Amino acid sequence: MASRVLDWIDRRFPLTRFIRHELTEYPTPRNLSYWWNFGFLAGFVLVLQIVTGVFLAMFYKPDVNLAFDSVQHIMRDVNYGWLLRYIHSTGASAFFVVIYVHMTRTLYYASYHKPRELMWWTGQVLLLLIMATAFMGYLLPWGQMSYWGAQVITNLFGVTPFIGDQVVLWLRGDFSVGDATLTRFFALHYLFPFLILAMVGIHLIALHTVKSSNPSGISLADKDNIPFHPYFTLKDLFGLGVYLIVFCAFVFFMPGVFIETANNIPANPLVTPAHIEPEWYFRPFYAILRAIPDVLGGVLAMALSVMIFAVLPFADRSNIPGGARHRPVYRAMFFIFIADVLVLGYVGSQAPTGFMMLLGQVATFIYFATFFLLPFISKWEERWLRARGLPPELIALFPPRPPRVKFPRPEIAP
Amino acid sequence: MKRWLVFALCQFACSAWGDTEPALNEVRVGVDLPTLERGAETVITVCAGCHSLKYVRFRDLVRLGIAQDKVDAWRGGKPMGAAITGQLPADAALASFGKIPPDLSLMARAREGEADYIYSYLLGFYITPEGTLGNHYYPPTKMPDILAVAGVTDPSQRAQLEQKARAVTSFLVWAADPHARERRALGYYVIGYLLIFTTLLYFLKRRTWAKLDRPASA
Amino acid sequence: MAAMPDSDAIDDADRRDFLGKATMAVGAAGVAAACWPFINSMNPSVDTLEKATAEVDLSGIAPGQSQTVSWGGKPVFVFHRTPAQIAAMKISGGGKDLQADVDRVRQPQWLVVIGVCTHMGCIPLRAERGWLCPCHGSVYDDSGRILHGPAPRNLAVPPYRFVSDDKIIVGKA
Repeated sequence: MASRVLDWIDRRFPLTRFIRHELTEYPTPRNLSYWWNFGFLAGFVLVLQIVTGVFLAMFYKPDVNLAFDSVQHIMRDVNYGWLLRYIHSTGASAFFVVIYVHMTRTLYYASYHKPRELMWWTGQVLLLLIMATAFMGYLLPWGQMSYWGAQVITNLFGVTPFIGDQVVLWLRGDFSVGDATLTRFFALHYLFPFLILAMVGIHLIALHTVKSSNPSGISLADKDNIPFHPYFTLKDLFGLGVYLIVFCAFVFFMPGVFIETANNIPANPLVTPAHIEPEWYFRPFYAILRAIPDVLGGVLAMALSVMIFAVLPFADRSNIPGGARHRPVYRAMFFIFIADVLVLGYVGSQAPTGFMMLLGQVATFIYFATFFLLPFISKWEERWLRARGLPPELIALFPPRPPRVKFPRPEIAP
Repeated sequence: MKRWLVFALCQFACSAWGDTEPALNEVRVGVDLPTLERGAETVITVCAGCHSLKYVRFRDLVRLGIAQDKVDAWRGGKPMGAAITGQLPADAALASFGKIPPDLSLMARAREGEADYIYSYLLGFYITPEGTLGNHYYPPTKMPDILAVAGVTDPSQRAQLEQKARAVTSFLVWAADPHARERRALGYYVIGYLLIFTTLLYFLKRRTWAKLDRPASA
Repeated sequence: MAAMPDSDAIDDADRRDFLGKATMAVGAAGVAAACWPFINSMNPSVDTLEKATAEVDLSGIAPGQSQTVSWGGKPVFVFHRTPAQIAAMKISGGGKDLQADVDRVRQPQWLVVIGVCTHMGCIPLRAERGWLCPCHGSVYDDSGRILHGPAPRNLAVPPYRFVSDDKIIVGKA
């Protein structure tokens, strides 16, 4: 019966064909490690955030007089409202954990190289959309940190030359963050995840065009690809199970970890909390913002710190594939960069005075130096590795050039 | 779990900034009904003289397990859905104290140190050398020494006051997160289920992938 | 290629099948259980459920007076009847929907009925005797019974109970 219904549909719509070609029979490198699970996890977290978000929106009221109370109503009176809220607030942080690991995997294996540049850039657009969504979502509970975080960050747009003040006024819809800001942030926070969904679709179309990279860095022969189902469906589900255990440990036993203390106090435009700090996932960029004493310089540095990832496919001029796998200098740069980001994250949570300020500036310098030095170091490293002798699996990629044939000069007839 | 984390970070942060805040006294938060009931009694009959708990309603107290007639005595003529309001009008508060006493519904979450902070603060009143009232944990406080702890040195009296402060703290912790017990109970079931499911998936995955290494079979 | 004993191959398939089926069953159960909080969150919340009952203080209602209270969004007439009115209702059986007065009250001096006309849902107005629905002219007596007009049935009696002599809870029998 089911197969007859399926046949009827298949004659009118490429359902089975599509599922077979893009999902069940889709050729995937057999040597993918667990680091390749995180794309699927990101998709799962996105869906969970959308589902919990829609149900929360059934009770949340985007009005400055009602917002905080409506969140308490959800937490106390709505059946399982506390669960919806905690999944959503923990999920936001989980989303960034998953995305950062996913990006780190790409950086380690330098998978952003040709032909996967578009995957990297669509991924970057996704990161920006997710950051915007998280920033707007954070205002919605209308706590002290919500309000002042939004106040500080919207203020930054004032550095726009000539029209800075108008830009801030336009963004907020009011002279300071207020009801107009809250309602529009709610509308956009509801909208953006669907833009993210569309972008994920584009990201996956790009993926299915160039296929996954793999830990060896080299494209595998056809015989070394295996169908996505059941191998990777099961592997992804297992990875999901492990992820959910950690995720639920936070949701059910430590949910308050991701809710700033100050956000349990309703927003007060007349009182600033002692230490304004963004959520952990924004702190490295916040540290870079504060490292530059000049406001415009700081904003430009912060924007650049996110956008600069786009240049990687060009900045990394090495032809040696596999990133840190085969390139020891790149590996060192990778680990230094990761450590630097962690240091910046810590600096972002501390008051910007004295030693912390200096540390932040040094870490910011290292951050950008990595990108500026990469074009030179990558080329030098390639020359060094090829002179040293490549490992056997890479030699095949660089066939020896045939010797230059010297042709005899033609005799000139007298 | 989070309290430990916040406490540890607080100590680290405080020492990093060279702050001279005194260390918090740790309190073992009570989740049993008698402690919560004692705490509710004190909060509603004493603290609510000045403070409100606008998100705690009388029906929530019944759902906690407190007897209906006790709750009826506390609420007087107010309906079950009414919140616990403070008796002190705003203008009188401003005149006497210069500030409106903050709402206590979320106080156990709204201060660094959470339960430990509330407990330490309540017991932290003392008489300054000049004879005025001070508090070790929040020096600018305008609140009177409601538990009358300042100057108490007798150990048994002190122990009684500590019990009272513990009951109040425990109730405020409940008030800030009334579903905590239900949440943790559900958490055990959910993680237990996930452990079983993930284990099953692990073996299924291993079994399926083992097919790859076996020579081509039918 | 080592030949595998037949029993081994069959065992493998059986074991894998059991594992596969067990995993799918456990997974399906988990997904179903995970749906419940979402579905249940749409059920009325605790504060809304409160509207299912309404406490009414009777001490402020003088004999001959009727007070209208809201119960779950609906109006409920709480009518304090005088002895004369009670006697009149005892004699009569009502109109087209015959029902004894004693079957409509818990205590004879208190009539508690839902103030929604059984014709098209308008709220009847208190008249000198009984109620008159302004929409299509249905007339109810002091027991809320339909006397004449298009309404088919008597005014409905909600579940209620006396918690004391001067307090009732509407919504709980």
